[in-house]
Amino acid sequence: MDMDQAEKQAFERYLLAMADDELILGHRNSEWCGHAPLLEEDIAFANIALDEIGHASTWYAILSEFTGKDPETHPDRLVYFRDASDFHSARLVELPNGDWAFSMLRQYLFDAYEMVKLRELERSRYLPLAGAAAKIRKEELYHYRHTSAWIKRLGLGTEESHRRLQNALAALWPYTRQLFTPVAGEDLVVSSGFGSPSEVVEIAWREQVVPLLEESGLQLGHLSNLVPDVSRYDGSRDQHTPHLKVLVTELQSVARLEPDSSW
Amino acid sequence: MNDTQLPRFQVFLQEQEGQPHQDVGSVHASDAEMALQNARDVFVRRPECTSLWVVPAEAIYSRTAEELAKEGGEKKEAGGEGAENPGLSGETEIYCVFSKAKSAGTQTLVGEVQATSPAEALGEGIARFAGGKAPFAWWVFPARLITRSQPQDIESMFLPALDKPFRLSTDFHTQTAMREIRDRKP
Repeated sequence: MDMDQAEKQAFERYLLAMADDELILGHRNSEWCGHAPLLEEDIAFANIALDEIGHASTWYAILSEFTGKDPETHPDRLVYFRDASDFHSARLVELPNGDWAFSMLRQYLFDAYEMVKLRELERSRYLPLAGAAAKIRKEELYHYRHTSAWIKRLGLGTEESHRRLQNALAALWPYTRQLFTPVAGEDLVVSSGFGSPSEVVEIAWREQVVPLLEESGLQLGHLSNLVPDVSRYDGSRDQHTPHLKVLVTELQSVARLEPDSSW
Repeated sequence: MNDTQLPRFQVFLQEQEGQPHQDVGSVHASDAEMALQNARDVFVRRPECTSLWVVPAEAIYSRTAEELAKEGGEKKEAGGEGAENPGLSGETEIYCVFSKAKSAGTQTLVGEVQATSPAEALGEGIARFAGGKAPFAWWVFPARLITRSQPQDIESMFLPALDKPFRLSTDFHTQTAMREIRDRKP
């Protein structure tokens, strides 16, 4: 592969951001296991959580191969032995679960993002990425079907479910912006044909989610044009919510007790 | 306190094309589409599935051989119909007929009949599909009440399970581990 150092590092960051988003969101969702409002949905949401962690595992393995590391063992190093401050997750996925409407809407907004991004990445010139994107997108279509069905039912259900979903939308919407803020060096990833521009993904995402949210009876109003408050955080993925450190500490607690044990 | 349980749907799974749909259990859901999705998550942990049906549990007309024998006797005495007919349209429509051979068996699709009521469908089903044997129990319901997965759903609903061997107990080598532990005993 004929790439210079800057291009390589940019692509690594690009992959790491994708992997970390899926890992952290999958972990958050797994916290619902045993607590979801319905037994059947408890199983369904835990399945989705496992799927997202599985996607993360795929991206970590691709990243490991790209950087010449062992794709069998290096992903575990990245997940269990990396400090929270070195994660590249978006703040959207770090937030605590809130109520059911909040968790479901976050998963829906992320599923839509993943679906449109994977559609782009199927055309990546980095073939391992293109192949995995095509495969994962099939599963993501089911996630989207499931979470969009829930959003419609919560939005058009009872007064309480509607109110909770509307509140969740107001809370989550500003955080979605960061998903579409290019990671440092994205222009290099795009010019090498390995990844796609965030701007393209954002346009496709909006075309997907805005009609569904409106159809679900939600008021987007000013939200659809909202410029989020970026004064506290810049768009980069170096700054995190305080929740990430708590999550990562818990996630790593067992592995760090016995770093050399095999599982 | 009110019953907050959502309606129940019976779930039927077809493992491979050409095989009959079989009862695998039931799920609660707000509506048929959610029931179909819940059925996928609850019952398709393994990849052997090409089609799922969900049917409102209350729409299933169910009779055991014992009940049929008893009703036959009562009917002769009273001369009446003697059976509830939920969702009865009064018009001829297609009914699915399921039976299971034994008490511990699985309700399996044996065929379809045209009828104007569940009771008539069952009578027709027995005449055509019992084949000289006496199955332990029968289920019938109108085909129009089935919500089905579509062939184009297979790729996203069922096939991804192929790549998830961790969902199968055999992936964890516990049997081997248990055998080793047992062998270690003095």
